[in-house]
Amino acid sequence: MIAFDRVRLERRTREEHAQDLKARLFALVTGRYRTPRRKVVLDDITLTVKPGEKIGIIGPNGAGKSTLLKAICGVLQPTSGSVRVDGRVAPMLELGAGFDPDLTVVDNVVLYGVLLGVPRRAIQQRVDAILAFAELEDYREFPVRALSSGMMARLGFAIATDVPAEILLIDEALSVGDESFRARSRERIDSLWNADRTIVLVSHDLGTVRSICNRTIWIAHGRIMADGPTNDVVSDYIRSVDQTAIALLLRAREATAESGS
Amino acid sequence: MTRLVDPQLADTVGVLFQRTLKTRYRGSFLGVLWSAVSPLAMASVYAAIFGHVFAAHYGNSLVRYASAVYIGLAVSQLFIAGTAQALPSIVAGSGLLNKIRIPFEAFPLSTVAAYGFQHLVGTVPVLAALTLIDTGDPLHVIALLVPLAALAMLTVGVALIVSGADVFFRDVPYIYDLATFFILLTSPIFYPASIVAPNVLRILALNPLFQIMEELRILILTRSWPELGSTALTLGEGALVLAVGVAAFAAMRGHFMEEL
Repeated sequence: MIAFDRVRLERRTREEHAQDLKARLFALVTGRYRTPRRKVVLDDITLTVKPGEKIGIIGPNGAGKSTLLKAICGVLQPTSGSVRVDGRVAPMLELGAGFDPDLTVVDNVVLYGVLLGVPRRAIQQRVDAILAFAELEDYREFPVRALSSGMMARLGFAIATDVPAEILLIDEALSVGDESFRARSRERIDSLWNADRTIVLVSHDLGTVRSICNRTIWIAHGRIMADGPTNDVVSDYIRSVDQTAIALLLRAREATAESGS
Repeated sequence: MTRLVDPQLADTVGVLFQRTLKTRYRGSFLGVLWSAVSPLAMASVYAAIFGHVFAAHYGNSLVRYASAVYIGLAVSQLFIAGTAQALPSIVAGSGLLNKIRIPFEAFPLSTVAAYGFQHLVGTVPVLAALTLIDTGDPLHVIALLVPLAALAMLTVGVALIVSGADVFFRDVPYIYDLATFFILLTSPIFYPASIVAPNVLRILALNPLFQIMEELRILILTRSWPELGSTALTLGEGALVLAVGVAAFAAMRGHFMEEL
C-alpha cells in the first residue's frame, strides 16, 4: 500500500547555489550569501494506492512525475506531509543504470539485485533463472560492456521483474529487446499484473497507460489535476493538451496578424 | 528516519567491496604486490638519501632505519589513499542514489575496505616478517593488531567525514589534498621523532598517525612494549575520530539528496 498525505516536496534550485567551500566562506564573510531559492516540485499530494492496483501517472515534462516515484521509493523525503509505503519497492531502472560495465554478467546480477534490496544469498540463488529468462546463459562470465544494448535491457528487465517486490515502479520504456523477448516480457508483465503486485507506471505513451492501468493520475505543476479511471483521465488530459495547443496557435496567429497590420 | 545501521548495509558494502576489488584492482594479485613493493622501494630511496644522517638514531643500522621508514609509509599510505579514494565515492554514486534507496555510507565504507584490504594483504606480511626478524617474539606480531585497529578506526572516521563534505562542497578534494600534505609532513615518516624540538613534538604528538607509527616501531623494531597509557591514547583517539565521523555523517546524510 502507498499512502501520501498532503505531501509537499521542495528542492533547491541548482544554479543559485555555490557548491564551493571557498566561495561559500567568502560569501559568508562579505555578507553576500543568500539562502538558495527553493522550487516546489510536489504540492499537496494526497493519494492512496491499494495493493494490486495498476496506476498510471501522466502529465507534461517537469510536472513532478519522476519525483513522485522517487518519493515512493524513498530516494527523496517529503518537505512536509507524510509518505507511507508498505512492502518492498523495486524501481525499474533505465538501460544500463546500476550495471558496472567491467564486471561479469553474473556479478552484475548480484550487484543489481542487492542494490534493489534483495539479500545477497537470495539473489545468488536466482542468478540461473534470471540469466535463462534474459537468454544470456552463454554470457555468464562476459563483462557487461560486451553486451549489446538490447541484451543489457533484457538483463535489467529480467532482474527487476525477478525481485520479490510488492510494488514495482516503472519510469517510461517498457519495450525491451527483440520481438521474441518482447513477447515473453509481455507475458511476464502480464503475470506481474495478474498477481497482487502494485504497479506505478510513469509514461508519455498514453496507449500503454490505457492498456495497462485501470486508474490514472494526471499531474501538472506538482499538483494532482485528476485521479480516476484511466479512460476518463486520459481523455481529459488529451482535451487539455489540445486546448492548450489551440490556444497557443490562436495566440500565435493573433500576434502575426497584429504585427502584419 | 535516519537509522545508523541499515539492514541492507552489510550486503551493499559487500557487493560494492567486491566490485571495487574486481574492477579497480583487476588482477588483484598485482595490486597486492604493488602495495607491498612500492613502500619498500620508497623506503630504500629514503635510506639511500637520508640513511647516513638518520641511521645514528637507529643503532647505526641502515636496515633498521629503512624498516622504520617502511612502517611510516605503510601507515600513512593506508590512511591517505584510503580516505582520498573514499572522498569522491558518494558523489560518484549520485546516479544510482537518485534512483534507488541505497545506504549512503556503503560507498565510503566499501571503498576504504577495498583499498585497506589490498593494502594490508601486501604490507602486513612484510611488517610481520620484520617483527619476527627484529624481536623474535610472536606476541609482538599479534600486538600489531592494536595500532592497526586504531588506524582502521581513524581511516574510516575521516573517510565518512570527507566523503560527506564532498557532497556539499565540490572543492573539498583540493582542500583535502592540502590537508594531507600537512598530515604527511607532521608525521615522522622518514625522520626520527627524536630530532624534533620538544615543544614542537608536543604538538606533533597530537597527530594520531604519529602515535600509531611510533607504537608500531616499538613493537616491530624493539623487544620492549609500548607504554599502556600511550596505547590507550592511540586507541582512544581512533575511537574518538570514528565516533565523530559517524556522528557527522548522521548529521549530514539527511541533506545529501538536496545536493546530488
